[in-house]
Amino acid sequence: MLERRTWLTLLLLLLPIALLVLAVEQLGVRVLERIAINLCISLALVVGLQVFMGNSGILSFAHIGFMGVGAYASAVFSIPARMKGMALPDLYGVVAGLELSPYLAIALGGLVAAAVAALVSYPLMRLSDAAAVITSFALLVVLHTIMLHWSQVTNGPRTLFGLPKVTDLHLAAATAAGAVVLAVLFKESRTGVLLRASRDDETAAAAIGAGIPQLRWRAFVLSALIAGVAGGLWGHFITSFSPKAFYLKETFVVLGMLVIGGTSTVSGAVFGCFLVTFAFEGLRSVESALNRAQIFTEQVVGLTEVALALAMIGILILRPGGLFATTEIGAVWPFRSIPTKGAARPAPSTSTRKASS
Amino acid sequence: MTAAIQFVIDVLSLGGAYALMALGLVIVYGILRLVNFAYGELIMVAGYSLYLLDGSPLPWLVMAAVAVLAAIATGILTDYVAFRPVRAKSVTAVLITSFAFSTLLQNAALLFISPRPRNVPVPDVFSDTVQIAGAITPVRNVLTIVAAAAMLSIFALVMKRTMLGIAMRAAATQFTMARMLGVPANLVISTAFAISGLMAGVVALFWLGRSGTVVPGIGLEPLLVAFIATVIGGMRSLQGAVLGGFVLAFIDTGLNYSLPQNLLQFRDAFTFSLVILILLWRPEGLMRGPASGQRT
Amino acid sequence: MLEVSDLEVRYGAIRAVRGVSLSVAEGELAVLLGANGAGKSSTLKAIAGALRPARGRITLDGAEVPYGWPERMVRLGAAMVPETREVFPDLTVAENLRLGAFTRRADPAGVAADHARVVELFPVLGERTGQPAGTLSGGEQQMLVIARALMSRPRLLLLDEPSLGLAPAIIERIFAMIAELKRTGLTILLVEQNAAQALAIADHAFVMRLGEVAASGPAAEIRAATDLKALYLGG
Repeated sequence: MLERRTWLTLLLLLLPIALLVLAVEQLGVRVLERIAINLCISLALVVGLQVFMGNSGILSFAHIGFMGVGAYASAVFSIPARMKGMALPDLYGVVAGLELSPYLAIALGGLVAAAVAALVSYPLMRLSDAAAVITSFALLVVLHTIMLHWSQVTNGPRTLFGLPKVTDLHLAAATAAGAVVLAVLFKESRTGVLLRASRDDETAAAAIGAGIPQLRWRAFVLSALIAGVAGGLWGHFITSFSPKAFYLKETFVVLGMLVIGGTSTVSGAVFGCFLVTFAFEGLRSVESALNRAQIFTEQVVGLTEVALALAMIGILILRPGGLFATTEIGAVWPFRSIPTKGAARPAPSTSTRKASS
Repeated sequence: MTAAIQFVIDVLSLGGAYALMALGLVIVYGILRLVNFAYGELIMVAGYSLYLLDGSPLPWLVMAAVAVLAAIATGILTDYVAFRPVRAKSVTAVLITSFAFSTLLQNAALLFISPRPRNVPVPDVFSDTVQIAGAITPVRNVLTIVAAAAMLSIFALVMKRTMLGIAMRAAATQFTMARMLGVPANLVISTAFAISGLMAGVVALFWLGRSGTVVPGIGLEPLLVAFIATVIGGMRSLQGAVLGGFVLAFIDTGLNYSLPQNLLQFRDAFTFSLVILILLWRPEGLMRGPASGQRT
Repeated sequence: MLEVSDLEVRYGAIRAVRGVSLSVAEGELAVLLGANGAGKSSTLKAIAGALRPARGRITLDGAEVPYGWPERMVRLGAAMVPETREVFPDLTVAENLRLGAFTRRADPAGVAADHARVVELFPVLGERTGQPAGTLSGGEQQMLVIARALMSRPRLLLLDEPSLGLAPAIIERIFAMIAELKRTGLTILLVEQNAAQALAIADHAFVMRLGEVAASGPAAEIRAATDLKALYLGG
């Protein structure tokens, strides 16, 4: 059974989601609802990324690609048959007449993403850390290329429209909550614990031996499943999208949320998401105020990305593990202090093998 | 026969560019064990330098030299901004700071210049064609082969013969021990970044020569090339990077020649699948790097 | 020549070296003995600049040594051979040696002369000069790193457990060479677990226990001391 502090963590992480839903329903402002739904979807995404990155210690850039896979797969299943003729004129006959319940479609989208991940990623899990990272980057690009050119299924670079709008705040919040539960359970599962143990210690890794690629693979597939579901969810909120929604900019934002919050903990993922979302909304209003006031001759764009980039660099310098670097929120009390004054540090060295937890 | 010559020339010129690109990445990775995500932006910087100098009375070679210098300077700047502050913290931290720096540079170009493509001065001789053994090819391709061969030879010579080269190779395996022999750490690192910038700068001249334009996102494709070539070749081997570059060029050109028209747009997906197969067979890459007790 | 006072080295909360003071006179061969975990290597690493101590003062010929910059130690005339040896495995023997003379690279004639000198001292290095250093045996590698350290013409040589992992016959030769080096006037600070052989060639000895210097004196005295074994086994 789970430890007490894990229960506490679960409770404390689900609380903000519940509070968010309550607050938005009380206030009844549409704009806030939109922000809240986006937040919940981002939350699912970031938590999904944490499942892989936090436990394996490997940075993955491919996550948003799987979001796209889920979005497009769910679209193919749920766009009403009569719309399919317009939205995806060249769609293959076998699915052209298909029309499933959007909820089922979203779930299937997640499964398709997981299946793609399962198929493609096993060789990548045997790579050394740095090679795995840059290969994940390449995977993102390849997924994007496929989405951009497989017109029969994605409508190519053009916007795909026609998805029924079924994602409301309750669904999004429930999905986010589900993702959080999955992430916490995975972290404390045998796979999660073994994976984290092998992450920091080479000798232990060697002792566990051939098991590591399998462990990583499981984390990766689960991560892709969550991303795919989040993608389907998002697709059925925004009802129309194109491949450029699943590329570098979004990757950067999700990564930023996780890094700032703390890669190693689910709490980090949750709070990073909340923090960055609120900061973003604030910055966006500043940006549009600046544009309205016409202070600069041209439209100010990219301010939010620059700010996020600086924030990420700042956090990594000051607190490299993120806000919740090692302990989940349920384990924060009681405090244990470790003396750090006068500790021996190696002469300014250039590489430290320890991962950032 | 002509097709074969054409193929060989294409592979050699593309491979030369890819090899230089990969080398610039591995040089930094080999010594610091850190991946520079802002590497592609060095090409962007070179491109925008050329764009900004366009229309000046300077001969193209001088503009090109300035562009390469700009790339070198940005490479060294990357060290100071994205690497030095976080180097001692963790490997992941540096990956992210360099990714963040890359975003910063691209957005700077977006904000201060333009998101639209801008023209880059290209010498007329680049688009002239020349005939080699029956195959017609742009002079640019021949120049790429020559430049790549020259740079790779000079690089190999410097690494093998000069004290600095030996110091850098030593630093790539045992950094602290090299310091204990008096090798100044910062000099070695800055030199690595400078060489990295030099490689990117030279590649930029030929890369930009193909399209004649520069956009903020132009660095992505060369970055990817460097990444894949490095992973194929073996993350820490300099020779591996060169080999990886040529292998990748071979795969890309081969697919260009053999894929049917409607599948050509998916070429990258096919390339990646082949790369995955190579990695299945050899996860550490084709060439083993310097011996090290550490898991890289 | 080397003065260390009140050195403290910490790893997190653990004080590996607590208030160690020692001195080595010019031309002396001093040895630092002690069981595993006594703090010997940490002391040596702090002296060499590879570790940043929490407290303490290190002077070489009266001049204070700055912490944490291994590069500077070599320039001040101290050369360190770590216990992990750390040959550069892909560089040839000759390249390893050449790199040892990095600080003297402006004087190629002098470097060449030194190269010849170390090959005379360690003939096997001459035989293997073109081989990658990683292919050498353990004993040969130890000779290589000592030779490499000598290439910078140090006045002070710091050796960290040179006998580690070597066969007894090789260990004898290594110690014979260290004694030979002392006879040429080199000041040497040696960290060793192999107490018997080290004391046989040393002038002065410091015995460390749990991070402190528990005993110090001329080597002959220490060798005769009956509680050496007890100190060793941490009794």
